[in-house]
Amino acid sequence: MYRKQVRRRRAVLALLVLGSFALLTLTYGQSSNGFQRGVSTIFSPLQTVFDRALKPARDLVDWFDETFEARGENERLQAQLQEEREMAVAGQVALQENAQLRKLLEFDRGPALATSAFEPLTARVISRSPIVWHSTVTIDVGSDDGVRVEDPVMSPDGLVGKISSVEGGSAQVMLLTDADSSVSAKVVPEGVQGVVRPEIGDPEDLVLDFIDSTKRVSRGQKVVTSGWRAETIASQFPQGLPIGEVTRASVEEQEASQQVHLRPFADLRDLDFVQVLTGGSR
Amino acid sequence: MILTPKIVARLVAIALLGAMLQLCFFSRVDLFGVSPDILPALVVVLGLLGGSMTGAVAGFSIGLLVDSLLVEALGASSLVLLGTGYLAGLFRERFEIHSSLVPALLCMGLTLFAELGYAAVQLLLGVDAHISMLLIRDMLLKSFYAFFLGWAIYMTVRRVLRSALVEEPEAPRREASALGAR
Repeated sequence: MYRKQVRRRRAVLALLVLGSFALLTLTYGQSSNGFQRGVSTIFSPLQTVFDRALKPARDLVDWFDETFEARGENERLQAQLQEEREMAVAGQVALQENAQLRKLLEFDRGPALATSAFEPLTARVISRSPIVWHSTVTIDVGSDDGVRVEDPVMSPDGLVGKISSVEGGSAQVMLLTDADSSVSAKVVPEGVQGVVRPEIGDPEDLVLDFIDSTKRVSRGQKVVTSGWRAETIASQFPQGLPIGEVTRASVEEQEASQQVHLRPFADLRDLDFVQVLTGGSR
Repeated sequence: MILTPKIVARLVAIALLGAMLQLCFFSRVDLFGVSPDILPALVVVLGLLGGSMTGAVAGFSIGLLVDSLLVEALGASSLVLLGTGYLAGLFRERFEIHSSLVPALLCMGLTLFAELGYAAVQLLLGVDAHISMLLIRDMLLKSFYAFFLGWAIYMTVRRVLRSALVEEPEAPRREASALGAR
């Protein structure tokens, strides 16, 4: 009797392990399947209810966390404010010069420059992945609202990621910190091109990879989407969306690994609302 | 654990509630840069209360639900959580739980096991991105949070499933003697 029970247990365990491997083999690399779409459709209203009901509790926990962080943040922001003031003055001068030069050249904005081709759609974040390897959030808008796979997603501070899968009333956003994320970007004003990739485990650090090692990038420079366009294909992101600021750019790392580190402008750990740029011409 | 349809319904409700709380609350709060992960702790508790098979099936089901909701490759979380639940159940079948600290400690240890499992599965599937050393901090802090959350989950789930649990007979109390009554 006991041996029979042990055999049955082992059989169930083996079945579950084999089932997991079979599911992994069948679904790895796919964006979504009918089963997942069905489950998401059923549960997304429930997730919205839970999200709203738990918001006060979430805010309370965040308040504790932010209070601890605020002291160090204050000093850092004071220094940054001073730096930004100086840059703002320099920026005003540059803007004046730019306007004059545009007039002189009768400069015409290329199609990739215009983000006006996109229709921003505000969405609420309703859930988030607990696994550090999959940095994704679920939002409460989907294909019914015009959202499509690969649409860029922004926060008020900068680029957040892109739509990785979409259902009728909800969509998944692959954040910049997801293991599979990569965004073509450039450093401004130098224009050094590279690919922004995550540093898994550190949500405040991104890597601008594959940069030209002969050009120098320095700390404090801004990184934006490069929005390249070839004859038949184009980047999924329009040009000029702010991504982050270079935080570490040692000469050794640039020469040896062709990479610099940046901090994303958007707080990817604390997203309540985002904007999906829908209707791009891809 | 005596599995009646009513108890199975309660188990399903616990799994659903756990998954919803994780995705809509715990994953979205940040304590010292890390979000707590209650799912391994929940699976450990179910394994401790129900045995290895309950733990494994609960782990597989919760993993499948979470992967479906997050539209990730199915099977990865199931594989990790079924192992976690099975080990917790095996512990319960092989050893006595003498101290109330044991469930919390097991939640902590097996959450670390689950986090290492997620990492192993991802690395086996292939990761192109850079990996930060802060990943280790993430794993350790998640395990630390699981100690406290696991204790609370154990107490709550034990209460909900009390009617199905096969309780160990209590040790006989010492009779009050004439001397003891002095």
